[in-house]
Amino acid sequence: MIAVKGLRKTFTTHVKEPGLAGSFKALFNRQTVTKDALKSIDLEIQQGEIIGLIGANGAGKTTLVKILAGIVHPTAGEATVLGFRPWERNNEYRRQMCLIMGQKAQVWWDLPALDSFLLLKEIYQIDDRLYRENIEFLAETLMVKDQLKTQVRKLSLGERMKVELMAALLHRPRVIFLDEPTIGLDLSAQKAVREFLKKYQQEFRPVTILTSHYMEDIKELCPRIVIMKEGSFVYDGSLTQVQRMLGDEKCLSITTRESTFKVTVPRQDLGARTAEIFSQNDVLDLNIQDPSIEDVIESIMKNGVSV
Amino acid sequence: MTWWRFLAAAELRKILAFRADFWVTFIGQALVQLLIARALWQSIFAANETGVMNGFTLQTMTLYYLIVPIGQKILTGENVGFLSREIYDGTFSRYLIYPLSFFQYKATTYLTHSAFYGIQLVLIFSVYNLLTGTTGFTTLVPGILLFLVAAFAYMSIAMIVELLALWADNIWSLMVLVRFFCLFFGGGYVPLTFFPETVQRALVYTPFPYLVSLPVRTTMGLAQTHEIVRGSLVLLLWALLFHLGAQLIWTRGQYKYTGVGI
Repeated sequence: MIAVKGLRKTFTTHVKEPGLAGSFKALFNRQTVTKDALKSIDLEIQQGEIIGLIGANGAGKTTLVKILAGIVHPTAGEATVLGFRPWERNNEYRRQMCLIMGQKAQVWWDLPALDSFLLLKEIYQIDDRLYRENIEFLAETLMVKDQLKTQVRKLSLGERMKVELMAALLHRPRVIFLDEPTIGLDLSAQKAVREFLKKYQQEFRPVTILTSHYMEDIKELCPRIVIMKEGSFVYDGSLTQVQRMLGDEKCLSITTRESTFKVTVPRQDLGARTAEIFSQNDVLDLNIQDPSIEDVIESIMKNGVSV
Repeated sequence: MTWWRFLAAAELRKILAFRADFWVTFIGQALVQLLIARALWQSIFAANETGVMNGFTLQTMTLYYLIVPIGQKILTGENVGFLSREIYDGTFSRYLIYPLSFFQYKATTYLTHSAFYGIQLVLIFSVYNLLTGTTGFTTLVPGILLFLVAAFAYMSIAMIVELLALWADNIWSLMVLVRFFCLFFGGGYVPLTFFPETVQRALVYTPFPYLVSLPVRTTMGLAQTHEIVRGSLVLLLWALLFHLGAQLIWTRGQYKYTGVGI
C-alpha cells in the first residue's frame, strides 16, 4: 500500500546574521545552510493500518507526509503509494488520497461548506448517490449538520476542523494523511475528532498516517507508532510494545526540602535505589508510579534508543 | 456539469459574498477614476485651446477613460499576487492535491473574474450609450472578446512572474513593475497616440498595445476590421507563447516548492 525505500529530502535555506548590519550584508552576500529533513528512511504500511508519526518539531514528520501526498519532490529514494509515485501527481492517485492539515483551510473561506462540497464533488467526480451518502454519514457523525450553510470563516475553530475533515473525506479516500488534525482545538472538540476518526477507520479501513503532538491522539488511534528524530526513524513498532517496556521500570517522584524531582529506575533495583535516595536526601514525600507512555516516548526521542 | 463550471460559479459566489465590497468594486472605482480623468483632460483641452488632441475629442477621451479602468480589471482578473502569495504561504499545495491541472484551475478562477468585469463593462457602456447616444453597440462584442483574450495573455505573463516565487520568496515589486509596464505601454494610463512616433512603431512588436489599447479602441469603434483581426491573431500568439513560458517555469520550479507554511 505504502512502500518507502531510502527516501531522502534535503532543504537549502538562507541564513542571515541578526541585526541591521546582517540585513545589509545579506543584500550582497547571502549564506545558505543545507539541512537533511529526511535521511534515507524505509517504511511499509499495509491496507487498513493507521500509524502515528511522532517527533519533535523539525524531526521530518511533515516533510514525509508532504512527499507522500505529492506536494514535495524527494531528493533521493523511492516511494510508492497504491502503486503510484506521489510526486508524479497522477490524477488516479490524487482521487484516492487526501491530506488534512490542522492549520490550513482547504475549504473556501468565504463560502458555506456545502458550496465547497459541491465543487469537490465535481473535482473528484463523486457520483450523486455516494455524495449524498457521504454527506449524510459525515455530517451526522461529526455533528455539523446545522453548520453546513454558514460561511466557513464564521464557524468556530472546532467546527471548521470538522468541515475540513468532511471536505477531505467526501471522496472516500483510500489513503489519508492527517497532519496535526486536533491542533488548537479545545478538549471536547479534540475528543469528537478522535472519535470520528476512529469510527471512520473502522468503517472504511483506509491506510492512515497521523502526525500529532497530542499523545491522546496517538494513544486512542494508533496501534503502530513511528518515532522520528532529526530525519531518521528511531522507533517503528507497536504502541503495546512501548507499553510493555513500561513494565520493567518504575518512576519515582521525590519531594525534598529543596526541590522535587523524578527518577526512572529498573523494577529490580527499586528497593536499593529508594533506600539510597532516602539516605542521601531529606525526603518529605515519595511517590512510586509506572512511567507514562509520554515519558517513554520522550526518552526514546531524546536518547534515540532503537527498540 | 463539469468541475470548471462549478468552480466559476463558486468564484462568482465569492465575488457576490460581500455586498459593500461588491458595489464599490462594481461602480465606485470606475466612477472615481473616470471623474479624475475627465477633470484632468478637461483642463488639458482648455489649456491647449483645442477641440481635438492626437485624434481624441474630450468626449471620446471621456469614453476612453470610462472603458480603461474596467478594461484593466478584465485584464488583471484575479488580484495581482494571487499565485505568488499562495506559494509564499503554502496554500498553493491545494492545487497539487486536487486531481486536476493547476493551470486549468487558475485559468478558470482568473477568467471568471475577467468575465464578471466584462459584464460590468457591458452595463456601464450601455448606460453611457443610452445617456449620450454617441456610439453603437455593435463594437461591444468584439471589444469584450478581445479583452478576454488579452486577459488570458496577461494571466500567462503574470504566471511567469509569479511562479518565480518558487525561487525567490517575495516577487511583489517585480509583479508591480510588470503590471506597470503592461498598462503604461498598453495605453492604460495615456492613449498610445500621445507617445512619440518611434515608440509607437516599436510597440507594435511587443504584446503591450494588444493588451489594452486595441480592445479599448475596438470597443469604442475606433479600430478597423483588419486591425482587429490581425491584432486578435497576434494577441493569441503572444498568449500561447507566454502560456508555454509559464508551463516551462512550472516544470522546473515544482522541484523547488517546499510547501512552507504547512
